[in-house]
Amino acid sequence: MLTRIADVLARIDRRIIYLLISISVIIPTLVIFPLPVQVSPETQKLYDRVEAIPDSSMILLTFDYYPSTLAETEPMSVAVLKQCWRKNLKVVTLSTVGLGGPSIADRVMSTLADKFGKVYGIDYVNLGYKANYQAVLLGLGKSIRSIYPTDYYDTPLDSLPMMKNVDTYDAFDFIFIVSDNGIVDNWVGLVNAQFGSEMGAGVTAVMAPKFYAYVRSNQLVGLLGGMKGAAEYEYLVGEKGAATAGMGAQSLVHLTIIIFILIGNFAYFAGRKKK
Amino acid sequence: MNHDIVLFLEMTLAGFLTLCIFSFLYKDNPFYRLAEHIFAGLSAGYYVGLIWHSVIMQQLWVPITQNGQYSLILPGLLGVLMFTRLVDRLSFLSRVSIAFVVGNTAGISIIQQLHGFVLPQLGDTMSRFGQEFWGPLIILIGVVSTLIYFYFSKEHKGALGITAKVGTVFIMVSFGAHFGYTVMGRVSLLIGRVQFLFVDWVHSFNKIIN
Repeated sequence: MLTRIADVLARIDRRIIYLLISISVIIPTLVIFPLPVQVSPETQKLYDRVEAIPDSSMILLTFDYYPSTLAETEPMSVAVLKQCWRKNLKVVTLSTVGLGGPSIADRVMSTLADKFGKVYGIDYVNLGYKANYQAVLLGLGKSIRSIYPTDYYDTPLDSLPMMKNVDTYDAFDFIFIVSDNGIVDNWVGLVNAQFGSEMGAGVTAVMAPKFYAYVRSNQLVGLLGGMKGAAEYEYLVGEKGAATAGMGAQSLVHLTIIIFILIGNFAYFAGRKKK
Repeated sequence: MNHDIVLFLEMTLAGFLTLCIFSFLYKDNPFYRLAEHIFAGLSAGYYVGLIWHSVIMQQLWVPITQNGQYSLILPGLLGVLMFTRLVDRLSFLSRVSIAFVVGNTAGISIIQQLHGFVLPQLGDTMSRFGQEFWGPLIILIGVVSTLIYFYFSKEHKGALGITAKVGTVFIMVSFGAHFGYTVMGRVSLLIGRVQFLFVDWVHSFNKIIN
């Protein structure tokens, strides 16, 4: 009897699994149910550090991600921007990712700027993308103008009031990296190590395990890992967004996957016993 | 045309292409192939335009022709030499450019790895021995045993074999953590698409009918 059940379970069509996973995502998306948010120490530290930046200071926020990972990374950028602009911080953005990065920054910032009454060139600047990230990161430590003579819209930096006295990393109180790739290694290894700039990062879940070591060694102040990290940050900022809305689906899908892992193991071991 | 209608048409196109990609979960089909080819072509075309504008024009042509930065002719020539790979008789010339790129990258990476990763991580772990015992000890055992697992100059027998086995445990724990996070990441991407289809797309439709 047991082995027959195992046989049936072992032969479940993969499309049934896809269907169940889809249902597990769709239902919580349509019927949002609130789940308690446990803030991790890494997220809390990052939030506290940004909160401690004196009002009207300057922060460098990077949009180092592709459109394919928007679900995880954009909520981080949005939450950080809301926190920054609530404190009247001046925000400079750049991207080491050409495909998407600068245009995502443009869309996110212009949308939120209207809401917070922020003016381009006075409260925020989008530097855009330059190729060869290693040269860019090293060059910015010597002279921002040598790498970015103009901003994303081809406006000379000197004609932007906010950028008049900004020419190296020293102008920034903090660097907040939002990334979906290994560029965090370069920010830490080149910019933190060689220029002593303080920084924190929000990364996709796939990248997160690697970067916790940087938090432990204080090379990163804190770390947001994937959609959960973004939801935690939204909770701290006090603005529920896309990440918080996605956590219900995230939990239900994880539960479904755990059940399928148990079923798979049961089918495997019961099947082996039969042989 | 009304902004809302344009937005809805954009969303509908994106929604259609998303569904085309998802259709592969059932089986391979022409709609999936169409979306796949559009994605590949669009990405390639966008990159060509991006590199042309942000590298060739902004960092080479304009500085040389308008700012008189003639020293940039040299890296420009190195770039041109890369294309000699397309001609068999001249392909050896591309090695000059490749050598420059390899040397440059190695120089930056060695400093980056040593100064930004190895030394700070070593320093942090060692300095913690004064404050705690088990944490840094586990890290030390993990690093040494994992390195020994990848030491292939001697057969893994005796003490070396036992240490390599301990290394395997640490590698498995690391793989497990990465796998768990990867599942979470991939599920997040699916959630993002579903939110787009069921929230953003529907919202854009509601906007034009209201």
